[in-house]
Amino acid sequence: MEEILRKKARELLESGAVKVVIGWGWNRNRTRTTPVFITSPEDADKLVWNPLCVNNLSVYLTRKFKDIQALGKPAIVAKGCDIKNIVVLITEGQVKREDVFIIGMTCDGVVYRQELWKGELRPEIMPTKCHNCDVRNPFVADFVVGEKSAFTPPEAPTGMVFDKIKEIDNKDASGKWAFWINEFSRCIKCYACRQVCSLCYCERCITEKNMPQWIETSAHPRGNLSWNLTRAMHLVGRCTFCGECERACPVNIPLNLINQKMIQVVKDAFDFRSGYDEKTHPPMIVFNPEDKENFIK
Amino acid sequence: MDKLLRKVNFDKLIGSVVNRGGRFIAPSLDARQVVFKAVKKAEEISFDHILARNSYKEYLFPQTEVIADFTVHKDGIDLQGRDVEPSTTVIFGARPCEAESLSALRAVFTWDFIDEFYTQREDKTVVLTVACTKGDEACFCTTVGLSPESTSGSDVYLKETEGGDYIAKAITDRGRAFIEEHAAAFEDAKDTKTKKLFMPEKIAGIDLARIAERLSKKEHYDDPVWARLTRKCIGCGACTFVCPTCHCFDITDEGMAFGGERRKNWDSCQYDTFTLHASGHNPREFQYKRWRNRFMCKFNIYPDKFSSKGCVGCGRCIRVCPVRLDITEVMEEMSK
Ligand code: SF4
Ligand code: SF4
Ligand code: SF4
Ligand code: SF4
Repeated sequence: MEEILRKKARELLESGAVKVVIGWGWNRNRTRTTPVFITSPEDADKLVWNPLCVNNLSVYLTRKFKDIQALGKPAIVAKGCDIKNIVVLITEGQVKREDVFIIGMTCDGVVYRQELWKGELRPEIMPTKCHNCDVRNPFVADFVVGEKSAFTPPEAPTGMVFDKIKEIDNKDASGKWAFWINEFSRCIKCYACRQVCSLCYCERCITEKNMPQWIETSAHPRGNLSWNLTRAMHLVGRCTFCGECERACPVNIPLNLINQKMIQVVKDAFDFRSGYDEKTHPPMIVFNPEDKENFIK
Repeated sequence: MDKLLRKVNFDKLIGSVVNRGGRFIAPSLDARQVVFKAVKKAEEISFDHILARNSYKEYLFPQTEVIADFTVHKDGIDLQGRDVEPSTTVIFGARPCEAESLSALRAVFTWDFIDEFYTQREDKTVVLTVACTKGDEACFCTTVGLSPESTSGSDVYLKETEGGDYIAKAITDRGRAFIEEHAAAFEDAKDTKTKKLFMPEKIAGIDLARIAERLSKKEHYDDPVWARLTRKCIGCGACTFVCPTCHCFDITDEGMAFGGERRKNWDSCQYDTFTLHASGHNPREFQYKRWRNRFMCKFNIYPDKFSSKGCVGCGRCIRVCPVRLDITEVMEEMSK
């Protein structure tokens, strides 16, 4: 697959169809992958494809990266789950479909965190998203690399995140509150969760608005709660469960639980799953008289 | 003479520190990773790991702290500064690299203003360093002139014995006084065999003198190498928060219309708003320029202005970075 990927990247750069290929490459010791920006055809061989390719590179398509946009039209190497984020960016008017060349990789899963890699992709080191993945075959792409995957996700979603959500759902209100206050107490307000997220593309995040200060920037219980709740709310109906925020969080706050729970709520309320169709607008930005209003009691 | 600190005596040592009103900070497992935490019992301590995820700087320079209280009334504003009254802080399990970081923090917090919130705490801090018997590919202390054998910055330097106890050597007067004060937890050391230390391989292509030379010339600002190597940085700031020498903070007022607190909170040069001017102009408008600043801070400003190390080679920023931006790869390039 790597050879086909490199060949395609080389062609695209040689023909001038794109100016930069955003993909994964090796670090110095070839032990970890890291994002690379290939601008000349000779460098196409730096691209790699393996289960360490965890980063969701779609973040580089957002307006946060004006210097990368200045390079010219990009091609992006993307797994199915990364494509979901590109789809959301398209539905939200952030990226035009024709302005990005998507090289989709058929995928057998990645590691949850690169540190876990011991040379073999075992189910225990894969994130919950991979165990339930229905996009192993890239579904919006200009070019697909790899044989079609025959994987079908389990009927009922399985994995740590779903188990933990059930466990929390069974707690009473004070139990839920105690669980989250404890988790959020570790937050150091680094905002890595926001920065790594391709859907957190606001040029001025609400936490940076200080006249008035909506969210206290201090990492105390009040500030941490308001930050984490606000970010969760801003991702409702948008988050695709790519898991980047949880991976980036240096203090291991289980952000996947919040985001997956929101996904379930949106699924139940609007029968909507974000990231699957670039032509449908997400429920939070459309008014539909049919919307259930059963939350009003 | 060297002393022996047995594992079974840790509870005694912690108790002795805590009973005198001090806090005992040690690496401990929290949310699936080892971090520095205040511990009350030996069983909370992690003895077998490479390096805590965070640095212990937060016990001297907290993520958030109130420095003043204010009230607003019709004739003006009353601002009442807070005093810092620190208790003794014992840091157990610092690594030799990060022990060195305190002199870097001290240099900046005493530069043109004495920041007593920091200095008073540091004056009452005792660093018990444990030499490394394990490491990983992110460790590069030997490349920046330190090693697991460095004792600089440590008050007491400990080496693990084959049996899992520690041989303790007092390095400073503060360290000697600490061992005397808590003598009940220490025994005389007879020639006990210590474990072999882990020595990270020096990265061949890195030359600190050459880096300093290149950074001293203004032309490097426009060197395309910065964008090429560091445009992948997403500006999350995680590296600065775990780094033992990063020290930037922001002052913010919180509260209600008629009163509140003035707080000192960690900040990061990796944020786009860090240098954003009120006019809307941002001198570091792209992420690679912010990353360049962090590198400059470590390898030009610190050595030049404070004659201290801005980077101690602990590798934390490399381990924590979600895009695996490896500072040593940039050091290598800048050594050319
Ligand atoms: S979620 Fe699917 S596409 Fe994404 S890494 Fe896992 S298996 Fe691959
Ligand atoms: S990444 Fe984690 S620690 Fe950082 S702001 Fe987000 S939740 Fe808090
Ligand atoms: S720059 Fe990185 S390696 Fe150097 S002291 Fe800071 S965290 Fe450690
Ligand atoms: S941790 Fe990595 S991505 Fe985050 S600010 Fe530091 S270098 Fe940039």
